[in-house]
This record gives sequence, structure tokens and C-alpha cells, in this order.
Amino acid sequence: MLKIVEVESRELQAITCSGLVKEYKTQKAVRALDNISFEVSDGEVFGLLGPNGAGKTTLVKILATLLKPTQGHAEVRGHDCDKEENKVRRITGYAGQDSERSAYFRLTVKENLLYFAHALRDVPIRMAKERIDSISSEIGFSDKLDKHFIALSGGEKQLVIVMRAIIHDPEVCFLDEPSKSLDPLTARQVRNFLKSFAKEHRMTICLTTHNMKEAEEFCDRIAFINHGRLRFIGTPDEFRKQVTIKEIVEVGVPKLSELVEEKLLEIDGVSNITHDVSIRLYCDDSFRVLNEVLAVLNSSGIKVPIRIIEPSLEDAFAFFVKEDEVNKTV
Amino acid sequence: MAVWRNFLTLTRYKANFLFEILTSALFGFGMLLFSFAFNTSLLGETVGSTNYVTFFILGVSFQSWQSIALWTASGIFQGELSTGQIDYTFSCPFSRYWYIVSNIAASAVQSTLFFFPMFFIGLWLTSATLTITGIILGLMATILSVAALAQLGAIFASLTLRYRQVSAIFGFFNFAFQMLTGMFIPVQLLPLPLQIIGQSLPVTFGMDLMRYYTMATKSIMLVEYEWLILFIQLGILSIIARLAVLYLERTAKDQGLHYI
Repeated sequence: MLKIVEVESRELQAITCSGLVKEYKTQKAVRALDNISFEVSDGEVFGLLGPNGAGKTTLVKILATLLKPTQGHAEVRGHDCDKEENKVRRITGYAGQDSERSAYFRLTVKENLLYFAHALRDVPIRMAKERIDSISSEIGFSDKLDKHFIALSGGEKQLVIVMRAIIHDPEVCFLDEPSKSLDPLTARQVRNFLKSFAKEHRMTICLTTHNMKEAEEFCDRIAFINHGRLRFIGTPDEFRKQVTIKEIVEVGVPKLSELVEEKLLEIDGVSNITHDVSIRLYCDDSFRVLNEVLAVLNSSGIKVPIRIIEPSLEDAFAFFVKEDEVNKTV
Repeated sequence: MAVWRNFLTLTRYKANFLFEILTSALFGFGMLLFSFAFNTSLLGETVGSTNYVTFFILGVSFQSWQSIALWTASGIFQGELSTGQIDYTFSCPFSRYWYIVSNIAASAVQSTLFFFPMFFIGLWLTSATLTITGIILGLMATILSVAALAQLGAIFASLTLRYRQVSAIFGFFNFAFQMLTGMFIPVQLLPLPLQIIGQSLPVTFGMDLMRYYTMATKSIMLVEYEWLILFIQLGILSIIARLAVLYLERTAKDQGLHYI
């Protein structure tokens, strides 16, 4: 009896990863994950960020029991994702990236959801119908329930896949780029719905995203992964602050000549340069380097707008990716 | 350039390519076997009936269930692999083996629509030898045979995940099944090595029993033995199928499901 009380009173983490390594055996072994360890608490919305091919989807697939780690182990609500896969599957939901075609084209949305909920998730038909009605009305999808899946737009299909992932009321839900192909308004609507659904049902969400706004608004904590390694874990604010200790001087052109960029990098206090629609110089004190940046640009005959800006989450993302590239080259 | 593209695609899936070549050779040999069937007096002596129209009709009606049992699961996996739905399916908490078998059963029920018209035409032509008990026993043998075939279907589904492009492998086995199991040519008329292979396939005795009970043909061996063999085949194939599905799942978890 004492033992049971101990187990019940122990706070279970929703997700625990410990030393996860995943290698794919192609002609040359590819290490997709390299010693990943972290924990996600109950009810948390946890975001996985990283560039394409960083290992985010592999990590989610290991947690959703679709892949087996090469080393280390992962647990969902105390159940080992490899050895107790069916226990994990019972309490988790999953929405993958292939949303456009991953349901039955000739069935309506309602028929699809009913089939998946009842046949594959064992939700009683009556309860499944009630859940379909309540979820669809909350995200404003009720009028599309009788449409054939094939007749939906890309974003609507994505919504159906998200609905499918939560139809059985899972304790932990894995969403691989849930807002992919959603317009900004629908994406926000889905985020708001998922957030309130998660709060109401005490559901933990683990999602991958490239959408920094989503990470910022939606996630309690984020992990940044690059080349299969965990580079950062913390709140979105803390992530930004990793770069906030640096300041940014933005030069309003997408690219400068290599020679000019080298000169800019040689300025004392400039530690990094990233490229996007504009060039960003990361430095410790932007006011101190501003004059020198102007001098370099003037001496090269370049007249472009320059400003000092506050780093965003996207800057933090770009900063980490660039830093990894530099470290790799060194 | 188009030839180069097609050749590259063809040779990219080596097992499929090999079976594509083998099938064309097999088709030629298979056609030779028909020469036995068109000797009606020999057919009469061997199977106890010269009603070869009904013999063919009942054989072909069996084909609609046979293809469902053998290829449904494989087709589902191929479809789910190419649409990405397989990730969701595999994230759900149920036995993969039963998922395969239940899908085959669902398709078999659907396929009954196509089986019965041909089956009843066959029965109508055999009205002289027909009894209710005969129909029931004939259908029971068919169902048992389809259940055993479904196990082979699960094994072929595993092949789908292993070899990705398997249409030619399907074609090879489909033709072999048609020629060796007595669908068109009585098994007793085949050369001995082919008879042995034919009798190891669960379709052979299912079809033989169906014809025995509805057309009053001579059975290949004592019907009690044929029933027994059908049950044994079902048992052995179920074990192999479960192992194959287990292997499939292990492999998929190791290397991921997006093979195609």
C-alpha cells in the first residue's frame, strides 16, 4: 500500500529524454540525434526549433514510438517509448508533417475523424461524435465537417490532422509543424484553441516549428536543436536573451562584397554576421561600433540605411545556426 | 532520355526488376500447361466432370477473394507509405498483425459482392449435383482457405515495407497462384514438382473442396486430409505471418517508415 502511495504522489514528467542518439544506416551512417537529454513537465507546451534536417522530426518520432533510438532512452509519462510502446501510444496523440494526403480522400471530415477515433483509437462512437462536434465548433470548422477530405484546402486538411491528433483526448500530443500551410489568422486560431484545450485537459504539447511567432506566443519553453545536438533549452525570453547580450546593427542590404564583410568582421566588438533580407552585425556595444561600421561602408562607397535593432527570436535562431556553422568550419 | 529515365526507375528496385523478368518467363511456361486442360476426356477422368465451363467459373470466382486476401494489406501499406498516413497508423495502440488481418477481412467482405455473382452462375450450371450442405461446406472451405491466404497477405505486406516497389513480385506470385493451384488446370494434371508446390499453397485445397462439394468432382486426396491440411496451413502461416509483421515493425522502427 505504501508503495502505491509513493508512486502516485511522485510528480511524473510528461517527457524525459536521456542521452538520445539516433543513427540512420545509409551508405554512410548518419547521426540524426547526438546525446539529447531534456525533460518536459506536465501541461507544458514545449517547442522544438532548429533548421531543416536538424533532427526535430526524428526526435518527435522517437517520442511517438515510431523510431527506436540507437542509444539512450525516452519516456512519456514514465513509460519507456521503446519497451512499453503500446502504453505510450495509448496516452499520446500524433500529427505528422504529411497532412495533405494522410486521410481518406473520399470520406468526409466527420467520417474520417470517426473512423480514426473509433477504429484506431478505440473511442466509443457516441463519444467520438460528441468530441468531433465540440472540437470543430471551437475552431470554427463545423460547416466543413461534411466536406470530402479531398475537397479541403491545404490549411483545412492540416486542421483535420490536428483534430485527429487530439480526438482521443491524449495526455501528451506531438505535433510536427502544426501550423504549416495555415494562414496567419487560422494559425492563431488553432494555437489559441490548442492552448486552451491543453490547459483544460492538462495535455502536454510537444511541437516542432519554424514559425518563430508560434514559438514565442505558444510555447512555455523551447529547445533549439542543430546538427542533432541540443544547443539551448529554456523559455522563449531566455532564448532571445542569449542574443540580447549581443546588440545588433542592421545594414539594409542583403549582401555585401566579401572584402567589405571581412572588414566589418574585423571591427573590434563585432562577433558575427548573419544574412537575410538585411545584414546583421552582432556586437557587444552597438553605439561603439556604429561609427566604425559607417566608416567601412563609406570608404567602400556604399550608402545604405543602418539602424540599431532589438534582437528577435528569429535573430536568436539565425545567430545559433551561424555560430554552429562557424564552429564547424573551425 | 526518356528510355534512360525509365530504365533507371526500373532498375532502382532490384528485387522488383528481377521478378518482372521471371514473370514473363513464367507466363510462357504457364501457357504451356493449358494444353493439358483442353483434353476434355482427360479432364473428365481426372476430376470426375467434363463440365469444364463450371470448373473454370468456380476457379475464377475464387480469384476475387484470393487477390483480396493476398494483396489488400500490401496495397494499404503502399498507399499509406506514399501518403504519409502510415506514421499516424503506426502511432496508434493496436496490434499491427490484427490491423492487417482486419483490413483484409473488411476487403474480403466487400469483395463478396464480386465473388457471389460468378459463384452463383457456377452453381446454377451444376444444379444437378448441388445440395445445401454442399454449398455450406464449399463456402466453409473457401473461407478457411481465404483465412490462410490472408496470412500470406500479411507476409507480402511485410515484403512491401522491405522491398518498397513490389508490383512485379505481386504479378509473379499472382500468376503462379493461378497456374499451380488448380484454378484453370487440375492440379493432378501438373508435372509432379509443380503438384508438390501447388499442394503447399492454401488455395489448392480450398478450391478443390469447393468444387468437390458443389460439382461432385474427384478430390485431389481424401477430403478429410484436405481439411486437415488446410487447418495446418492456416496455423503455420499464422505463425510465420506474426513473425514477419514483428520483423516489419522492428525494421520500420529502426530505419523509419518513409521508404518509398
